[in-house]
Amino acid sequence: MTTVARAWGRLTLPGKVVFTLLPLLAALTTGLVVTIVVFGSAVSDIVLANLGIVRFAAAAAIIIVITIPIAFLNIYLEMKIIARMNLRVGPDRVGPWGSLLSVVHGLKVLVKEDFTPTGADPVVFTWAPVVTYGAAIMTLLVLPFAPGLYGQDFNIGLLYFFAVGGLGVVGLLMGGWASFNKYSLLGGLRSAAQIISYEIPLTLSVVGLLILAGTMSLNQIVQQQSGWFSDWFVFRQPLGFLIFFIAATAEGNRTPFDLTEADQEIVAGFATEYSGMRFGFFFFAEYVNVFVLSALTVVLFLGGWNAPFPFPELAIPLDPGGLGIPLLFLIALVPVIATLVLAAPFYLIRSSVRWWVALIIGFVLFNVLAGGLVFAWAFVSFDWVAGLVWFMAKTFGFVFLFVWMRGTLPRVRIDQLMGFAWKWLLPAALLNLFVTAAAVVVVGS
Amino acid sequence: MTTTTSPNMHPSADDPRVLLDEEIGVFEPVPPYPPRTEREAEFYTLGDGQMFLNLGPQHPATHGVLRVVLKLDGERIVDLDPVLGYLHRGVEKLCENADFHQTIAYMDPLEYIASLFCEWPAVMAYEKLLDVQVPRRAEYLRVLTGELNRISSHALAIGFHALDLGGITPILYSFIERDEIVEMLASITGQRMLFNYFRVGGVNGDVNHDFMSRLGDWMSRAMEQIEANLGLLNENEIFVRRNRGVGVMDGRTAMQMCWTGPNLRASGVPLDFRRAHPYSVYPELDFDVPTRTEGDSLARYLIRVEEIKQSLRIIDQCLHQMPDGPVIANVPRLLRPRPGRAYAAVEGPRGEYAIYAVSDGTDQPFRFRIHDPSFLHLQSFGLLAPGGLIADWMTINASLDPVMGGIDK
Repeated sequence: MTTVARAWGRLTLPGKVVFTLLPLLAALTTGLVVTIVVFGSAVSDIVLANLGIVRFAAAAAIIIVITIPIAFLNIYLEMKIIARMNLRVGPDRVGPWGSLLSVVHGLKVLVKEDFTPTGADPVVFTWAPVVTYGAAIMTLLVLPFAPGLYGQDFNIGLLYFFAVGGLGVVGLLMGGWASFNKYSLLGGLRSAAQIISYEIPLTLSVVGLLILAGTMSLNQIVQQQSGWFSDWFVFRQPLGFLIFFIAATAEGNRTPFDLTEADQEIVAGFATEYSGMRFGFFFFAEYVNVFVLSALTVVLFLGGWNAPFPFPELAIPLDPGGLGIPLLFLIALVPVIATLVLAAPFYLIRSSVRWWVALIIGFVLFNVLAGGLVFAWAFVSFDWVAGLVWFMAKTFGFVFLFVWMRGTLPRVRIDQLMGFAWKWLLPAALLNLFVTAAAVVVVGS
Repeated sequence: MTTTTSPNMHPSADDPRVLLDEEIGVFEPVPPYPPRTEREAEFYTLGDGQMFLNLGPQHPATHGVLRVVLKLDGERIVDLDPVLGYLHRGVEKLCENADFHQTIAYMDPLEYIASLFCEWPAVMAYEKLLDVQVPRRAEYLRVLTGELNRISSHALAIGFHALDLGGITPILYSFIERDEIVEMLASITGQRMLFNYFRVGGVNGDVNHDFMSRLGDWMSRAMEQIEANLGLLNENEIFVRRNRGVGVMDGRTAMQMCWTGPNLRASGVPLDFRRAHPYSVYPELDFDVPTRTEGDSLARYLIRVEEIKQSLRIIDQCLHQMPDGPVIANVPRLLRPRPGRAYAAVEGPRGEYAIYAVSDGTDQPFRFRIHDPSFLHLQSFGLLAPGGLIADWMTINASLDPVMGGIDK
């Protein structure tokens, strides 16, 4: 006993972690293997019989996980872009160009004290961020990222999106009410008034598009926009696009409509009393919302995953087996030779570069080149890779637009906000709907 | 419990006994003592559907440690009550117990955005008491550094105005101007914020190469740079709409409320102490007194923009007309003015800064009173804000541009 204890005591912390985790991992692996061997066929039968449910569960899991890097990326982009607009440097300490700062922010909110103020309703206070975050990530389920890359293809996809997206305000209202703070209450009520007002022009602005598309499935809407960029709905529904974008800005609580968390007026609005990860969920939800609204704008009006021009169909067949064994061995030599060739100039031209430093540089360069080549090959060979790239490029273009507006514009006042929604956006959306419907009737008859 | 609570029986966060109570109460921003005046009793009685909102002393938009209790009906302000004293340091009393020279250093933190304009009336008052003739080069240096400081103050006011309206970028552009000016002034005075530059009978130091090269470099592009930065606000529909018609003050009421400076001139009264009661070398300088008639927040913002341009003109003339000579008169180390009193006022970036000093023949002022314009602008909140929204209060506060150091003294 004492021998084991002494040996354990001599271990460093990583050693202790490894010696704790290894047996656990071994036991789990054994169990998994045994399970697969014994119940494998039964499990696969069940999975195959319920493919829809399994697909849904996998998509839901992936979407929940993917929101975190998306939020991190949006937060980093916002910090960096606004910093450049303010003629500042912005984050530049953690990671290359400060790119890991939002990860550190995430860790920070995790380890901070999660404080519940006196007088708050703890249950509602705790569930409010969950509701907001849940609404934000549930909307991702129907977004078509690329051909075949989507959570679910509902034939009421857009309706689902608006229905679930509108739930986010319930969380804000819950947080504002349960915080036992007047600033929070004002923020919650502001968000309720604002989002309910802007839901109407937001929904009405896409009705014209739905008349043209004839479907509510986001997948089919994207497919109808394939071809040249002139086929995108933005050119057939310019007014609808404008209304949709403005209302989406208000829906996402972004500047100039960020009245719910107007820090100069009501400190932090509904989030005033929140700290720790509960605040983190609100914060993440906001940035996931920015992504989701940008993505929906792209899907509805800018062709989704479609390239702006008909992309030539190039399928470069890679069949390494056809090369034969000797050539395959030669291919195995390519990384070594390429690394040496790329390292040589650095070693030869600058005498201060040691041979191993040059080798490292060459290796990194080779990896970058190889990665680039593989990406280029995948881009031209698989339509979902190309689609994902186009989709993300357009979406982050809109994310940039949201950030740009935040860096440029002051905030509107609550009465101006409401007046704008009811006096301008709503009539404009109705006009757009009327003109579209009339045009469809005239052209159709 | 019955002796000191207010009649509407709200427990207050200021009342230490609240902490002893077991049950959780609503902490209302109500004073823990019975109302001292009818106005206080009326204000701290809530009407139907109204609530108090305690704004400050820690709040992002109060420009310091101002605390305002707002009485709200929804988001509309019904009434408000500024609560002062969170930055009170007793500067006037400190000055009455300090040497005349030492008081100048106490003047700086009163007006920490534009410190020179608080030193200026103090030294002017002492010069009146002592009957000292200030060398002309020193007067030009005072005007030159003062106008630089005015530009830095106005630039900051404009930036904070935009920040209080939710625009996060203009403040950083304003800080570029301010930082260049502050670095310039640091090279001549030795300090970035609290300059302590003016002396009885002159100034502390002459211009040096560092100052002149920085100033020349900046002057060559100042106007262009400021115009470019203001494009973000002047042509911004949201900014203009947030300001136009908010916090309107007519000239007559403004004068009754003792307003001075850009805020008064925005209401159509062309009162500028540099012209109305000429001091220093301002009579020799050519500049305009811009006025506007609207009297709203936008007018107050635009007046500041105009004043920056006029200040640049003054600096240009100062540099061309500045004579050679000493920068400080022959003044004894220990000042013992004859018994008497003096009042000196200058036109600062926020209005009339004035000092009233009484000497009893010793080396310390017998009485020392500071007149600060921010205080007088602040007391007009009750006229401007009610009827507006919470966001309008931020606009009004930013456009009046108070500095809490001078308000609480």
